[in-house]
Amino acid sequence: MGIIDRARVYSPWLYHLHCGGCNGCDIETLAALAPRFDAERFGIQLVASPRHADILVTTGCVPKQFIPMVKRVYEQVPEPKVVVAIGGCACGGSLFYEEEPENYAILGSPDLMIPVDVYVPGCAPKPEQIINGIVQGILKLAAKGSSRKRREV
Amino acid sequence: MADPVITTIEIILMVPVALILGVLFLFLFRKLNARFQWRVGPVIRMYSDLAPLIGKTRIWQPLYDILKLFGKDTIITDVAHRRLFVYSPYFSLLFAISAAFFIPFPGMELLSSVPYSLVIASYLIISSILFTILGPVASGSPWGAIGARREVELFLVSELSFVLSIFSIALSSGTLVISEIAGRGWSAPSILLSLTSGLLLFVAMLGKLHIKPFDMPEAEAEIVAGPYTEYSGKLLGIYFLSKTFLTYVLVALFIALILPPASTSIFWLPAWAFAAMVLVFLLTVVQVLNPRYRINNALYWYVKVVIPVGLVSFIIAFFIRVVA
Repeated sequence: MGIIDRARVYSPWLYHLHCGGCNGCDIETLAALAPRFDAERFGIQLVASPRHADILVTTGCVPKQFIPMVKRVYEQVPEPKVVVAIGGCACGGSLFYEEEPENYAILGSPDLMIPVDVYVPGCAPKPEQIINGIVQGILKLAAKGSSRKRREV
Repeated sequence: MADPVITTIEIILMVPVALILGVLFLFLFRKLNARFQWRVGPVIRMYSDLAPLIGKTRIWQPLYDILKLFGKDTIITDVAHRRLFVYSPYFSLLFAISAAFFIPFPGMELLSSVPYSLVIASYLIISSILFTILGPVASGSPWGAIGARREVELFLVSELSFVLSIFSIALSSGTLVISEIAGRGWSAPSILLSLTSGLLLFVAMLGKLHIKPFDMPEAEAEIVAGPYTEYSGKLLGIYFLSKTFLTYVLVALFIALILPPASTSIFWLPAWAFAAMVLVFLLTVVQVLNPRYRINNALYWYVKVVIPVGLVSFIIAFFIRVVA
């Protein structure tokens, strides 16, 4: 493992994308970063701009008006990147998802428009679960980073 | 001036030394910050069951952050002024590294004995910060522009404090050469001068390193990431590297100017290290105790505090120069 691949595992930065949830998962996500669980021990930090992020943490079922924003934020995250969907709504739309007839306002899980790598189910998942999901995301990130060609344009 | 061969070796040696010390200062800053917030912060000794997987220590966490950014894609937006956007981080880094060459380190005189080295060092520090303003302005992002504007306003007042401090010390010792200032003796009025101009330099450091009451250029909750909003990958890594060097430069300059003999000889190294740790500790205390000022409050505060203290500092310096 090269030094840069190692550094990628050591300092994953999160960008928290809230797309139309009830705030339950957001509170639990922030609890994972607060004193009790303190993810900064392992270099995990919350960043303010998607351009700085490695891991996109999404919560909530996506309202239809929010689709372009989700796509845009996803495209703003530089490669290699991983998306972690947190909560029942982000995993499958939960009770807001309707196939036939389609819900007039809610699309459902963000995996209908962007590729999601890790799912953390629960309503709301506990901080331990969220940290476990982020660790799975870091492992995928390391695999993506080392398989990437160095001389891409 | 010393032997050119020795000076060249010292300059080559200075780059890794400054980088390592800058990373350690930033680590200490993050760790103390976390401890004040009742968190653990980046762990010094990793838990034994996790150590084989994710490394033995996180003392080098700021360096890992930079290395990781070097391994990521760099996105350049269409609206950016491409050339200025790409080259600004490199110039900022270049000036920050070259500022380190003009500041003495215990056992290494470097270029601090060249004439007017104090003026050269302060100009290099200013230029480094100037390029952290130019790049974001060229990025074409409104958040970058707001961050850069706040940075300019903060820069003007913190520069006032910086200049008042270093030139009152220069006036008292009658020289503009850092190595002569760093080797000056102590007397009762010079202790008083160290207190007033030390306070001014400390306040200037708060503004230049964006520490809490004055972190409005990078205010996350309001303007995304401020000047760095559009930067990603390698260019962001270079900005962080430049900030690492700047942290070392400001701490070393503080010790060289305010605590005289500590940067002259290798035997003072433990005292230098202790002083640097205390300085980083004080910066952290200020960071954790304060909320973020609005930009107009910060300007008003600087003018209200810095100008009277600067005047007192100049009067003491004048007294030392004329009487002593």
